Amino acid sequence: MPLALRDLQAEMAAYLVSGADADILGSIVGDTIPAAARLRIHRHQLYESLATALAGTFSTVQQLVGDPFFRSIARAFIAQALPAQPVLSEYGEGFPAFVDTYELARGLPYLADVARLDWALNLAFNSPIGRRLTAADLSSIPGEQLPSMKVGLAPGTRVIHSTYPLDRIWSASQPNASTAMVDLGGGDAWLLVFRRPDDAGFIVLTEAEAVFVTALAAGASLEDAALAAFAANARFDLSVTFSRLLDLRVFVALQQ
Amino acid sequence: MTPVAGIGLRAAHLAAVVRDRPATAFLEIHAENYLTPSPAFDTVERLRADYAFSVHAVGLSLGSTDGLEDTHLRRVASLVDRLQPTLVSDHLAWSISRGRYLNDLLPLPYTEEAIDVVVRNVDRLQETLGRRVAVENPSCYFSFAHATLSEPAFLSEVVRRSGCGLLLDANNLFVTTQNLKLDPRVWLDGLPVDAVMEYHLAGHAVNDADGEPILIDDHASRVSAPVWSLFGELVERFGPRPTLIEWDADIPPLEILLDEAATADRRVAEREAGAARAA
Repeated sequence: MPLALRDLQAEMAAYLVSGADADILGSIVGDTIPAAARLRIHRHQLYESLATALAGTFSTVQQLVGDPFFRSIARAFIAQALPAQPVLSEYGEGFPAFVDTYELARGLPYLADVARLDWALNLAFNSPIGRRLTAADLSSIPGEQLPSMKVGLAPGTRVIHSTYPLDRIWSASQPNASTAMVDLGGGDAWLLVFRRPDDAGFIVLTEAEAVFVTALAAGASLEDAALAAFAANARFDLSVTFSRLLDLRVFVALQQ
Repeated sequence: MTPVAGIGLRAAHLAAVVRDRPATAFLEIHAENYLTPSPAFDTVERLRADYAFSVHAVGLSLGSTDGLEDTHLRRVASLVDRLQPTLVSDHLAWSISRGRYLNDLLPLPYTEEAIDVVVRNVDRLQETLGRRVAVENPSCYFSFAHATLSEPAFLSEVVRRSGCGLLLDANNLFVTTQNLKLDPRVWLDGLPVDAVMEYHLAGHAVNDADGEPILIDDHASRVSAPVWSLFGELVERFGPRPTLIEWDADIPPLEILLDEAATADRRVAEREAGAARAA
């Protein structure tokens, strides 16, 4: 009695992922080429195509560790976390945490943070550009009203914090980067990741600026966010930071 | 003759297509690459003014007993609504089981049970989109021992019961018939002529499987001579149709794709000239 199609699909999926349920081989015509060799083509396609997709999303990680090592991490991740749906730009949310626990990457303690940056860049890339707040929009607002207003961040905008100099690690991974060594003890980095018209990118923030943006993202008014930033560092300059962020077009509508 | 050949639009070529606006009958995109807002999607929306588009899905999993996944179906429908493509297609294959996506086009056992599953999914897709879709023959590396129908008989029955169209991939047809030791010309006999909506052309590789050659549909090279010959056979039997050059790995400069498309157009033109002389 042949398997019901539902069971056949479940068994074949299990076999392709883990090599388990080898009973499925009995459903396949082997003749000149054994069934296992035929299914190996699909197993290869499953792992390698998903590893390629992850290499596209986590391109900085791939650059840093090289393709063979990246693929071995990716295959281990794929084996335990297949996509739940077919949009591959949305696959890999759990990859940074996986890298963090991956035994063979222990010697690269910053790698998980690099993966977090790659994921944030991916989310920003796959965000709508939409209408952004400009200096002209602010000119109609009476100055005394501004401090109590809230300002929304554009979709895909987020702060990434690392105890490693993530911006310099990222730069070192880029084509034509200088070969100078990055001092891993170079201190914390706070990066603001955001969508630009043609791609996604990031800038380096001070700690106080990161506090400011994080407070805005949590719904604080400009005044309250600035107070939190001052508490982090008394030299925080609200007007400089605000106009810098405005120029980057990371704000959307103002709200009372 | 009106050109019929288009090219698969890949991220690596977006900038060149925007800059050069090459002449091509249509551009085909993979639905799953354009379901999120992105710079690439913004570019495609701008190109819409100058090009006809075809939306080729790879992840609907028309052969899944799970049925079509609601969210994915809704997102594909929204893309189709926004781009208003001339064609929409996916494969006679499955890639989802129990909520896990395998990112591969896995073959079905050609049985009555599988026909019911595919027809149910194609019906739902066509109802949701409000249009006829084309179903593509996959590349097969094996067949199932309990299959009761041939692949073309299966496809014909899906067409008859769902009213869908067919996308005939000449490369997949060559790969499948070589791997399963079938005659591609016999394979084509009995397909419903009116259902054929589009052709695909691509390259394949020849690999070694335990000492025996096996053809792999890798879309990483030029169209091979026997596939061009099969393409001629398709045009002969079913007439000229929109024809796509697909290239998905080791992607060459845009000019190479356009050159392959020009070859497809030339072959159609030669056949038509030959037919006119014979008449």
